[in-house]
Amino acid sequence: MITLTINEKEVTLDKPVSILEAARQAGIKIPTLCYHEALKPYGGCRLCVVEVERMPRLQSACTLMAADGMVVTTESEVISKVRRGILEFLLINHPLDCPYCDKAGECELQDLVNKYGPTVGRYKEEKRKVPESHKDQILARNMERCVVCTRCVRMCNDVQGASAITIIGRGDRSRMEPFSSASFNCEYCGNCLTVCPVGAILSRLYIHSFRPWQVDKEVETICSYCGVGCSLVVQVRDDSIKRVIPEMGLGVNKGLLCSRGRFGYEYINSRERLKTPLVKKNGRLEESTWSEALNLVAEKLSEIKKGEGGSAIAGIASPRCSNEDNYAFQKFMRMVCGSNNIDSVSRTGFAAAQKFFEALLGQGITANIIEGLKNSEVIFVVGGDPTSVNPILGLSIREASRRGAKIIVLGNAKGLDRFKNVQVIPPVFKDVDALEELLAGVSRVKGVRGEKLDIDQGIRALSEKYSEKMSLDGLEELKYALLDSPSTSIVFGMDLVQRANGHRAIFAVAGLTYLLEARLYLLSDRPNEQGLIDVGCVPDMLPGGRPLNIHDFKTKFETAWGGSIPDKDGVTLLEIIEGARNNDIKALYIMGENPVFNLPDGPFIKDALGSLDFLVVQDIFLTETAEIADVVLPALGWSEKSGTYTNLERRIQLQKKAVNASSGMEDWKIISEVSGKMGYKMAYSEVEDIMDEIAEVSPLYRDLSYREIAKGNCLWPYHGEPLRGEIHELPAMAESAGNYGSDFYLALEKPLFHSGTLSRRSQALMKICPEPTLKISGAAAEKLGMQDGDRVKVSTSTGSSEVSVSIDESIKDNRVLLSNNFEGRGVFSLLTYKLDPVTKAPGIEGCEVEIQKG
Amino acid sequence: MEKFLLKNIENPDSADINEYLKAGGYKSLSKALGIEPKDVVEEVKNSGLRGRGGAGFPTAMKWKFAMADPKFPKYLICNADEGEPGTFKDRPILEKNPHLLIEGMLISGYALGSEFGYIYLRGEYPDANDILNGAIKQAYEKNYLGDNILGKGVKFHLSVHQGAGAYICGEETALIESIEGKKGQPRNKPPFPVNVGAWSMPTIVNNVETLSNLPYIIEIGGEAYSKIGSNECPGPKLFSISGHVERPGVYELPMGISLKDIIYNHAGGIKNNAKLKAVIPGGISTPVLPPDSIDCAMDFVSMPKAGSMLGSGAVIVMDDSVCMVKVTHRALKFFEHESCGKCVPCREGTDWLRKILERMESGKGTEGDIELLLDIAGNMSGKTFCPLGDGAAGVVTAMIKHFRDEFEEHIKNKKCSLADSY
Amino acid sequence: MFNETVLKEIEEIKARYPDRRSALLPSLYIAQREFGWLSREAMESVSKALNVPEARVRGTASFYAMYKHKPVGRHLIQLCTNISCMILGAEKLVDFLGTKYDVQPNGTSRDNRFSLVIMECIGACGTAPAMLVNTDFHDNLSEKRIEEILDKYK
Repeated sequence: MITLTINEKEVTLDKPVSILEAARQAGIKIPTLCYHEALKPYGGCRLCVVEVERMPRLQSACTLMAADGMVVTTESEVISKVRRGILEFLLINHPLDCPYCDKAGECELQDLVNKYGPTVGRYKEEKRKVPESHKDQILARNMERCVVCTRCVRMCNDVQGASAITIIGRGDRSRMEPFSSASFNCEYCGNCLTVCPVGAILSRLYIHSFRPWQVDKEVETICSYCGVGCSLVVQVRDDSIKRVIPEMGLGVNKGLLCSRGRFGYEYINSRERLKTPLVKKNGRLEESTWSEALNLVAEKLSEIKKGEGGSAIAGIASPRCSNEDNYAFQKFMRMVCGSNNIDSVSRTGFAAAQKFFEALLGQGITANIIEGLKNSEVIFVVGGDPTSVNPILGLSIREASRRGAKIIVLGNAKGLDRFKNVQVIPPVFKDVDALEELLAGVSRVKGVRGEKLDIDQGIRALSEKYSEKMSLDGLEELKYALLDSPSTSIVFGMDLVQRANGHRAIFAVAGLTYLLEARLYLLSDRPNEQGLIDVGCVPDMLPGGRPLNIHDFKTKFETAWGGSIPDKDGVTLLEIIEGARNNDIKALYIMGENPVFNLPDGPFIKDALGSLDFLVVQDIFLTETAEIADVVLPALGWSEKSGTYTNLERRIQLQKKAVNASSGMEDWKIISEVSGKMGYKMAYSEVEDIMDEIAEVSPLYRDLSYREIAKGNCLWPYHGEPLRGEIHELPAMAESAGNYGSDFYLALEKPLFHSGTLSRRSQALMKICPEPTLKISGAAAEKLGMQDGDRVKVSTSTGSSEVSVSIDESIKDNRVLLSNNFEGRGVFSLLTYKLDPVTKAPGIEGCEVEIQKG
Repeated sequence: MEKFLLKNIENPDSADINEYLKAGGYKSLSKALGIEPKDVVEEVKNSGLRGRGGAGFPTAMKWKFAMADPKFPKYLICNADEGEPGTFKDRPILEKNPHLLIEGMLISGYALGSEFGYIYLRGEYPDANDILNGAIKQAYEKNYLGDNILGKGVKFHLSVHQGAGAYICGEETALIESIEGKKGQPRNKPPFPVNVGAWSMPTIVNNVETLSNLPYIIEIGGEAYSKIGSNECPGPKLFSISGHVERPGVYELPMGISLKDIIYNHAGGIKNNAKLKAVIPGGISTPVLPPDSIDCAMDFVSMPKAGSMLGSGAVIVMDDSVCMVKVTHRALKFFEHESCGKCVPCREGTDWLRKILERMESGKGTEGDIELLLDIAGNMSGKTFCPLGDGAAGVVTAMIKHFRDEFEEHIKNKKCSLADSY
Repeated sequence: MFNETVLKEIEEIKARYPDRRSALLPSLYIAQREFGWLSREAMESVSKALNVPEARVRGTASFYAMYKHKPVGRHLIQLCTNISCMILGAEKLVDFLGTKYDVQPNGTSRDNRFSLVIMECIGACGTAPAMLVNTDFHDNLSEKRIEEILDKYK
């Protein structure tokens, strides 16, 4: 206990904090400028100086730790003069352009001068002149307004870990600049914007478009991009979104955002949004009315159900839609269409992995708090770059590294290049084998646990398969890093799930998790991959993760829902597509998904969906899939509707409506309309009614309400009962693939600035990353005789595409990478797949590619 | 007085280890290695040695703080960033007597239990860089540096880290930042470097001259050393004398010698018998003294009483051809150039002061400028992050205090009457 | 980018310190030796050799006055004009260099022979005024002596 006196008030602290924080705890405000709660104290602005008895100089309250018996004065004649003097110093070179500056109204300097500043200027000399820089597409930089508090630089270095900006020069010539001095060429998280106290860094998205005091509504909601589910505040004026900002301390992200979350929101205002339902007439989609379109859907589905049976109907749900939308969707498919053929693109990664992990280690094994990563001693990253798939989760890994954790990486993870301690990059497509070898090595030292006999047996088999001597440099070091760690986290990306033998990668990671008692995190690039599973949008499980084939569960839901659920498990995503191709599936209902673009072997997918008798797509854009549909139904997007999302750590959060949409309907509402027309009434008048039903029927989300969820700590296992059932027999493991001897292989790149297809409708993200580039290694560039920016034609067995190349030194094998974000040029149209026999995820491996100068 | 720090420097090969050994070098090291480290510290404590960098902090006390910290490794850094204008006292040691410094560092490293030393050398001394590196190489060859020094199982490694032109790196925490490959911006204290210094480990930063005194202390014993010079600040001291004197240069004299004695006896008096106008006694950060105040003892304790500071012992002598406004302006130009930019009062204050002085010197001063200068200096003094800003403010205040009429004259006559004199 | 020999030299420097970043200042000296000045490519090379972010390399380099932040002539004159040098006539020598050698502070002569940087005290106050030409030290300067000295730098 520390007791000190601040302004004659006795303050007691239970842990050591700075004088500034001690004063704040006691309700005494000390003015600051360079201080920021998310950053380490700096002591540069000197505004927070206080008098401390028995100390000769004035002390900065932000840097001085409170000590027992201190007597502190925060306001006095002397201190006032100092603060006035400091503010005068800050103003002498500051352009007094507040009427023009976007920051006016929320400028910390303006507020401080109002309260403590001088009233007249004594400065007669010439002011420093630095022209405002608009050389960056997104960020405007005004170094005349800069007060050199370095909050932006400290944010960029010490929190974001991007280290893209710095202070150039020294003394009064100090100015903030990116390395290039023009474009920032950074991660574009915009967290520098958040901490800039003045108008020195501004977002060009809203510059000169509104004044802070004109905001008429602020809505606290969550982001629509990835599985982290960051909290953000949407600022609205006249029913239109002006700006998206984070709030310090709030949510999973605690005030930080990534480029997609901060800048990617404008897609909802795109002119290309669907405005009315469309119905195919004479082979062409034509504008229609809601009643015509809904009647047609109900009619067609009823007809097919009657003629072919429910199993001829399938549904693809969406990890971009809410729990409520997805719950209504699966209920509709099961109860109304009579089909368990429900799946989502999550099957290509997250859902496939999750299912196998839970089968091996029990439900909830991946329910680990993101913040907990920071406290790990070792973080093992495998199967993708967390800093681009789930950027805010990536920041926790960087922070752990700063705190002294060891970061060990198998495969590529560019965003951790400066943070990793050990990295092993196996030869092309040999990473699954490397992972197994690692598990075998760990078990050889540690033995097996004897707790889960099936896993023990699988691990033993691996020890026999691999010799004691590790086949790759660094693997031994990796092994001992894991063995020596008292607290390990494993961060698993989906790259290794999308392999011909992806199930083996999952088993190996499960084995390591089990042996090391590690915390497991699954990367998730869509906002509701977990929720979608939880509410039953999978072919073999009912809401709450209850297996369909356990009779008691099924009857419970049948009673609750008033009807019957088909007995047989449905088929998975790619089986649905293949079923469509084989005419086993006649009708497909797609909610918020674009399989033609988002699944590998695009031409095949398109062909398969084209051979359906009836295809319904409900979306906010006329996607490649919607284009070939029989009926297209306009839905609502992010910020236009409310609903809950379950993030990758299984935190349930509310996404809230902020503006009114000019057209479209909530997904759950469209579903319930169709359902009603097909003779099954869904009695929901509000989205909240659906959550009430989920809370009633799902043993997992039991007793949850929006009020409870709004508190922000609805975390697994909530009030519910997770199921600990595990499999007792391991599925047969596939053989290792042979050697890959081709020159180059095409693979998927997961970029930081785009996600799926929504981001390409965001002007800001398109400015940051306007077109796809083929990422090739330095060695490949040399072999091909190519330089950055060269145009090339990329050809595979399924097609070809023209893009420019970009050399990426982090690629160490003979893969070339292309993203799947740009219309007509997605990598999936060029890739073929082979279904993983265990997880049913598409294995994308060994896709040979030819690269020619274009 | 017998010279110790500058002993043998007339020998053109004085930097060679063989010459150094011939003159009795590295004997103190052998002697030190023969006694317990704590006894070495005790000798240094008894000697009363104070840091020669400018602050005058008792060396043994600083050492004891670092030794009390349980963390290892501990780092020993020699501050050879002699940047205070007017100062060139360390240079003869670095260039002519490098083994004295190395021996001092070895003794210090042994006492502290430090196995890694760095010499932070200012970038402005390229010759010293070559000489030091050569001397270090020789010391390694002769087994005075390495893993088993003189077969006594003592380990010490030493290298030179070259600065690149930043005065602020003379401040010990800025120096540490610079060694770590960062901008030389001072760190917040506490924690002090003795606990959390270079690479977050206990670190001792000692000046070249301080470390170079150690072989002498070991040679003659702390007790005997403490009898040299003034009571509270014993030992020999190097003074750099520049400006308008007959014999400028570096003088090794007992601490506490009178400033007047230095100027008129050792440095031969004012050049060309001109009239003395002002003396800056300890480098330009120390307050200027008018001629009637120079009969003062040059040590850390006496100088504040005389209205200035000992600083680095860099005496700049100015005759009456010198314009004090111009000198003040030049000093502020220096401080503005060297301000690191971290804290507001120093960054903006030095710029503002410099601009006003520039205007004044060019005859564009206006009524009230002197009061404004004093007020700005007042708003800086004691409010800056580190002493650099205090120094800048102190120069202005002292100059106006002693030479106010010259400032007034500039404003009144709208010109500098001495503008063309040099 | 650096060649193998230079990279080896940097590796040796790295070994002197407990962490790679500490080799930044010495590596910048090497970079300007290799590239003539701290060009963008020079800083990128340092960034890569030390795995220190580019912006940090540039920010740190820009803090220090003695690095060559722009291309310089064949010979770099670094002349001190601080007080001890000033009161002994250093400012007039600046003018002299301008008239005689066509070189202004922070500038380069049109024939690219000399660049001039004004220094803050190079520790030669006792023999003021003084300057460095490249890494050679010269003191007791006068116009005549400057002529004699610079004659050797073609």
